[in-house]
Amino acid sequence: MRYLLASKLVLILALFLLQGLVFAQDFPAAPNPPRLVNDFTGTLSAAEVDQLEQKLLAYSDSTSTQVSIVLLASVGVYEISDYAFQLGEQWGIGGKGKDNGILILAAMNDRKVFIATGRGMEGAIPDALAKRIVNNLILPNFKTEAYYLGLDEATTMIFKLASGEYQADELMSDGEDNPILGILFILFFIFIFVVLPIIKNRKDNNNHMGGRGGGIDFWTTLLLANVLGGSGRGSSGGSFGDFSSGGGSFGGFGGGSFGGGGAGGSW
Amino acid sequence: MKKILIPVAMLALLGILIYSKAVGTYNQFVQLEEGINGEWAEVQTQYQRRTDLIPNLVSTVKGYAEFEQETLTGVVEARSKATSVQIDPTNLTPEKLAEFQQAQDQLSGALSRLLVTVEKYPDLKANQNFLELQAQLEGTENRIAVARRNFNESVKGYNSALRIFPNNLFAGLYGFAAKGYFEAVAGADKAPTVQF
Repeated sequence: MRYLLASKLVLILALFLLQGLVFAQDFPAAPNPPRLVNDFTGTLSAAEVDQLEQKLLAYSDSTSTQVSIVLLASVGVYEISDYAFQLGEQWGIGGKGKDNGILILAAMNDRKVFIATGRGMEGAIPDALAKRIVNNLILPNFKTEAYYLGLDEATTMIFKLASGEYQADELMSDGEDNPILGILFILFFIFIFVVLPIIKNRKDNNNHMGGRGGGIDFWTTLLLANVLGGSGRGSSGGSFGDFSSGGGSFGGFGGGSFGGGGAGGSW
Repeated sequence: MKKILIPVAMLALLGILIYSKAVGTYNQFVQLEEGINGEWAEVQTQYQRRTDLIPNLVSTVKGYAEFEQETLTGVVEARSKATSVQIDPTNLTPEKLAEFQQAQDQLSGALSRLLVTVEKYPDLKANQNFLELQAQLEGTENRIAVARRNFNESVKGYNSALRIFPNNLFAGLYGFAAKGYFEAVAGADKAPTVQF
């Protein structure tokens, strides 16, 4: 009986593992730590991958548009376009709601490449332009095995086309954060200078000869402490944000969606 | 008096339970159905876009006098047939959807035959206008594929919710019926291979 149970457990475990394997074979899991350039084939040298990563990262930081490069051995029975859309969707390349992601997918053994544009990028890079990038910049270079050069030129062209479509998140989120902080401060001051005195006055009415001076001292101290603490916290929060976004590592994909835009080719 | 009160209270409680479950189920189906309607609108938009591209394609190709006429008329006929089959979202039954898909797939077939024929005409293949149309057509086929997959996923969620145990009792009561899928007919899951 016990043996049976154990064998069943093993079977179930094996099934789970197998399922994971099947999934892993169809679509690679999103890279962890997140990276924009993912070469699963070893076609590019480490230095080339790094250079592309830095280039794409700088662009993502300044415009919030996420351009990702994935090199695979083969997409199997999938159409490369279909595979690119599904991979982009699963990884969530681009910001959520803005869908400003672009995936350059190359299947090295199939000798096929596809540029998939997120829903939000279809206006900046229509299919016809994506096709031209593939035909004029990627394919000729890939034919001569100049893979890095092709990807470098293609991304530069994409940057040119997409520039101005989206602004960086940071500028906007700073503008949004400050009013909230401001309102909080105003509420805090109203509480200190209006509500508390009213409460205290009531108390005073009950007790005509109260130790008033001591009370004020106490509240003033508290207020000063809070103001100092508050401003201190605010500035440290800001510098933290700056550090994490500019520190040279990619923060992760944002949940963008792909609707079938883009074009591809074969070399 | 008290003896009656307890069963009545229990009945009332049961009534409230069933009622809230019924309302919850109804609302769930309404939400799922709205999701499907949205996906269906996207499917139709993309098919419409393809339909709109065809007159341009035909007139571009027509300029080449020697071009086979029967291939062209095949496309035009398939197009008019496809536009005649329209489904409104409240009637997405499996039969209706199969009919819609068949008409659209015929158009896909006619289009891919046309694009294969173009292979024989180097002038046409070099025509800038034609190349643009070809890129747009490819893009539309890709978008159709994505829209169809999203639609199928929504329908799958809806249909399986419909068949789960307590829901199936209510669903029949409200008149919610299973909806159709896009089937992957041999070769229809792929865009017509526009390889030149």
